[in-house]
Amino acid sequence: MRRQSDVFFGERESGQDVRQTNATAVMAVANIVKTSLGPVGLDKARMLVDDIGDVTITNDGATILKLLEIEHPAAKILVELAELQDQEVGDGTTSVVILAAELLKRANELVRNKIHPTNIIAGFRLAMRESVKYVEGKLARDVETLGKEALLQCAKTSMSSKIIGAEEDFFADLVVDACTSIKTYNDMGDVRYPIKAINILKAHGKSLKESSVLHGYALNLGRAAEGMPKLVKNAKIACIDFNLQKTKMLMGIQVLVNDPKELEKIREQEFEITANRIKMILAAGANVVLCSKGIDDMALKYFVEAGAIACRRVNRDDLRRIAKATGAQVMLSLSDMDGGETFDESMLGTAGEVVEQRVADDDMVVIKDCASTQSCTILLRGANDYMLDEIDRSVHDALCIVKRTLESGKVVAGGGAVEAALSIYLENMATTLGSREQLAIAEFANALLVIPKVLSVNAAKDSTDLVAKLRAIHHQAQSQGNEELAGMGLDLVKGELRDNIASGVLEPALSKVKSIQFATEAAITILRIDDLIQLEPEQEGQ
Amino acid sequence: MTATMAGERYVENKLKHDVRVSNMTAAKKLADAIRTSLGPRGMDKMMVNAKNDVTISNDGATILKTMDVTHPAAKMLVELSKSQDIVAGDGTTSVAVLCGALLDKCIGLLGRGVHPTVISDAMSTACEKACEILEGMSDPVDLNDRESLIQAATTSLGSKVVAQYSSLLSPIAVDCVLRVLDQERPNMVDLRDVKIVKKVGGTMDDTELVDGIVFDQKPSKAAGGPTRVEDAKIGLVQFCISPPKTDLENNVIVSDYTQMDKILREERNHIIGIIKKIKASGCNVLLVQKSILRDAVSDLALHYLAKAKILVIRDIEREEIEFISKTLHCQPVAHVDHMTPDKLGHAALVNEKQCGNGKVVQVTGVENMGRTVSVIVRGGNQLVVEEADRSLHDALCVIRCLVQKRFLIVGGGAPEVEMSQKLGYWARTLSGMDAVAVKAFAEALEVVPYTLAENAGLNPIEIVTELRNAHVAGNVHHGINVRKGTISNMKEENVLQPLLVSTSALSLATECVRMILKIDDIVPSMR
Repeated sequence: MRRQSDVFFGERESGQDVRQTNATAVMAVANIVKTSLGPVGLDKARMLVDDIGDVTITNDGATILKLLEIEHPAAKILVELAELQDQEVGDGTTSVVILAAELLKRANELVRNKIHPTNIIAGFRLAMRESVKYVEGKLARDVETLGKEALLQCAKTSMSSKIIGAEEDFFADLVVDACTSIKTYNDMGDVRYPIKAINILKAHGKSLKESSVLHGYALNLGRAAEGMPKLVKNAKIACIDFNLQKTKMLMGIQVLVNDPKELEKIREQEFEITANRIKMILAAGANVVLCSKGIDDMALKYFVEAGAIACRRVNRDDLRRIAKATGAQVMLSLSDMDGGETFDESMLGTAGEVVEQRVADDDMVVIKDCASTQSCTILLRGANDYMLDEIDRSVHDALCIVKRTLESGKVVAGGGAVEAALSIYLENMATTLGSREQLAIAEFANALLVIPKVLSVNAAKDSTDLVAKLRAIHHQAQSQGNEELAGMGLDLVKGELRDNIASGVLEPALSKVKSIQFATEAAITILRIDDLIQLEPEQEGQ
Repeated sequence: MTATMAGERYVENKLKHDVRVSNMTAAKKLADAIRTSLGPRGMDKMMVNAKNDVTISNDGATILKTMDVTHPAAKMLVELSKSQDIVAGDGTTSVAVLCGALLDKCIGLLGRGVHPTVISDAMSTACEKACEILEGMSDPVDLNDRESLIQAATTSLGSKVVAQYSSLLSPIAVDCVLRVLDQERPNMVDLRDVKIVKKVGGTMDDTELVDGIVFDQKPSKAAGGPTRVEDAKIGLVQFCISPPKTDLENNVIVSDYTQMDKILREERNHIIGIIKKIKASGCNVLLVQKSILRDAVSDLALHYLAKAKILVIRDIEREEIEFISKTLHCQPVAHVDHMTPDKLGHAALVNEKQCGNGKVVQVTGVENMGRTVSVIVRGGNQLVVEEADRSLHDALCVIRCLVQKRFLIVGGGAPEVEMSQKLGYWARTLSGMDAVAVKAFAEALEVVPYTLAENAGLNPIEIVTELRNAHVAGNVHHGINVRKGTISNMKEENVLQPLLVSTSALSLATECVRMILKIDDIVPSMR
């Protein structure tokens, strides 16, 4: 019940009413993304058309929710949750939303049965902590014991629900290849896999199986002039972050000429300043010049004469990454400490070769064998923009997953195995507690089962039957201490149970742990609300 | 004649009565609205403002502030909560709830024909008496007793979303206040000396107290400047390192092509001049104040600074200057000619640090560090971080209260029941209208334990009567044990709060009620 208040401009809703509306709103959001969970199912992708007519086709939970422009404040929390999962883990956005909604729905039922929300919150927190402990202690396996194969499997599991699922073997190779090639060490000596160093390029045409990894950094632009060489070996790269156009005077400075002859001289001088800079760069030995700003056509002849490649309008981020990879320095200016201008050889970066390649309709400049760190580029091919965008998102998710697996070194079985195991474990734990939290923990355990349930429903299998079997086998695993059975999960194609660790349906443990934590936190945040005060929007023109 | 007189008076009185009652009802309604967020098991409110921004909070002052109250009398309640926030920083919900309960009683008394001024005076004496009782049951606290201080902070955090992290946040709050405490002026704590930097990402466990100072701004490294400087000499400058601009009306006129090169050279020389002077002072970390008139640091200057291996942090807000100079023991420099080694601050390390999705700059090992402290607050999303910030602020205020008035009393509704009991006895020794008013005051106080019990999902009548029983039997420190759902000795449970929070809540609420009582007409002034 919403009622207008006489004390302030706006509406107020409180108590059970607001809990009910919040739960309904959240469930509605979860229902939207529910069908995109899991590897099989009919409703695999969604076409979203926004208010200016842009079309996006995706089945990535975070992307869908971001585009939906959700109004309800509680539902907004769920959107933020998906975004958070996307940032922290990169995958599992759909499952985190479904889990949070299920937790909230069940909590709401408990409140109706006269259990105070604070007791439920305490129970959920306890259950969350126990789950995380159990996943990390009992369910997780080291990647080392499973070998290199595990990485491929993790990537495949992440892709299986996406558009590239059909070509998962191909793309898993691609992703793992790209990811392992960018291994770096940070200041503290830890191994890091900076996903940002992987440049994803999209090009129309050919089939998606023609996608490839280019070792080296590819720039989606061509040389500045045709007269330049297509290939430069032993490249010395200069990264320039200022204009190589005719030098313009600053604001507030006027050039006043009385003599027409002077005019030409002034023009020459304007150009001369830039020409001198270019000559200086070339004299230092640079044979590849990447400029983030413009290069005058007149100036190009110097590069052509010197047999150097020059590129204009290079993206600044690209420029910075190339500088890092080749050991070059991004130059904001050529000025030295004496007030003059110089260009030193030490500012140049080196690479094995720089080559212009033709890919589909576009020219691309690829920098290969960079001196210091590795970088690589994934070139995606596909029929149209929507498909390429969706492949991009899927590949990004898979990259994140591989990175997490490599960094954390632990994996768990997918296909609902973890959720089923946790559910059994928490239920057993709940019965040992004599306090009010018992019911909440039991509901938490039940809520976790939503993941295998939705998975089997999406695969058009009998969810009741499958989940019951799954629970039975995990009960057996835990009561007998049989660790072999702990990896049992769903085989959604055949509709039966199998050992998902052996058959390679794997997810990084970190992703599971984070999604349980985030979902619980979000559910608690919404559960604590017992009052919604909605102020009237300000009238326009007042 | 007498008939018309009587008639007129009747109408007049009716009006006055109406105004009073309408004022009181409005204020009471507002108090009722935030009642559910009182206590450790209180719930949160979600506020959607006119711009559709969402705030989730259970801090009374924040809720009332966001609510955009329109009724004039209800506005007083918002102000009341705000002043409690200023004085004590905590107990903002309690003060509003208490005020609501007192108003409720007043309506009853007015209905029975007690004159407003009599009620008002009686309330004031009752309040004085109540504060005496509170002081009687308080215990002095020593600032060296870290345990008690942490307990008080924990009690304050108990009702917030961040309650589960209280074991982390309370020691931080205590350490913050103790560090900024000036031994020469032991009663003064300026919370502006505590800088809280909020960063989304990570979990709240990553919240930490930084020994030094943290900057939200990233170092400017477009030109490849350093991001880590050991044995730093920090300069804080308020001038710009960019070419000077001519006034709008003026122009520099070039009539010869040879001068063009000269102009460019001149610009370089101008900046080099500045940077050489900075370098000469030995400075290797430069904090530059934000400027809206022109680039604080031009690209060219960044290039030179990078060459000189000077780490630059731009966009320092003007308000931060005082804090920074106090912390780093450096002096702000307004002109480059004043850049001398004695104006610089010294630190062992200035380092860029990954923090969630963003980066912060951390300065550690500061020599002669001032009495200031920085805290980085982390959390899963924007809403949580904001709420953590507010909660930490409350905890800081609680400790500040203890510094100002070094007495602790127990929490959990125990003092309110005790006051109610004692005032009840005292009322019996009085006679006349005063006795009735004091008795009403005493009864109103019970709203705190009543609400606590209600919010915790307990049976309020049962709990409150049990509490009364315990207090009659002389168990002064018995209060509601929300966790166990029973009553017990709060002193043993370590539920403690500063005396100042309770006394200020009590006197502010009483004064507010007296003010509302005395209004007998609302005259809308014409515009």
